[in-house]
Amino acid sequence: MAGVIDQYVASLRRELDFDRALARRLASEVEDHLRDAAEADPAWPSADAEHRAAERFGVAREIAAQFASDAVDRQARRTWITLLVTAVVTFTAMRLRVTWLDDGAISALAPLVDRYAFIAAIAVGAIGWFAFRRSLLAFTICLGGLAASIAAGIVRADLFVHGAPLHVLLAAAGEIALVGLLSFHVIGLGRRLKRTALLRRAGR
Amino acid sequence: MLKGHLDAIVLAALEAGPAHGYAIIEAIKNRSTSTFDLPEGTVYPALHRLEQAGLLSSTWTTPPGGRRRRVYSLSKAGAAALADRRKVWGRFSRAVDTLLGGRAWPA
Repeated sequence: MAGVIDQYVASLRRELDFDRALARRLASEVEDHLRDAAEADPAWPSADAEHRAAERFGVAREIAAQFASDAVDRQARRTWITLLVTAVVTFTAMRLRVTWLDDGAISALAPLVDRYAFIAAIAVGAIGWFAFRRSLLAFTICLGGLAASIAAGIVRADLFVHGAPLHVLLAAAGEIALVGLLSFHVIGLGRRLKRTALLRRAGR
Repeated sequence: MLKGHLDAIVLAALEAGPAHGYAIIEAIKNRSTSTFDLPEGTVYPALHRLEQAGLLSSTWTTPPGGRRRRVYSLSKAGAAALADRRKVWGRFSRAVDTLLGGRAWPA
């Protein structure tokens, strides 16, 4: 049968399932801590000494909630950096497209969609940045920003369909890859926000 | 109130030299003469946060005949951050002392 410390470490690992690497790292660190604490107890060796060590350590769910909250901050930073890079790359590629392509190479509508989708993505991203600092509503707004970026991608699809020079296609592929990375970060941010909210609600 | 200063307290506890999580908690307890008797687990999110921010570094070490432990040490940036936080805390605590003591501020 697993001892008190083993059970505690297993429960902490479960609560930290939103970040497996962190859960693995912390499990061995916390186990060492609890064994040190139990061995320092006058009643050691006994289950009571292990119980007291686990009690002094705190509720596993509350500790996991603190980690989850920090993870949200880190993920948000990564998301906003990616958003910024995507905006700069998209803008540069957009300008280069205008320089590289003949007037007749893309439809008359494409530059308009390109420009306005880009402006919409920047505006929604900026609103998302301010909203994030206030509430969880930011997740919805982030998705809006992502949708706007994808809208900008419609023009890129147009380039692929109608055939464009290789360097134009490469720039477009770079933009699409960045939008993909941005979606990955936004989904990660959403998962972590949800997990933090659940842990906090359960800890009350 | 303590939660807002936990990062600075952890940095200060590591000023004397590298230590593992359990030793850091013990140092905080002893140096505060048990005034700060935190749930011990609360120090780990702080350690992780400070390490991610580059204020601490950590490595696994195994003392002869002992258990393998993750030992944390203050980085250069961590020492500078601690000095900054000390200055801020000094100003803040003097202001609160003065206000609670009913004296004019700045004293």
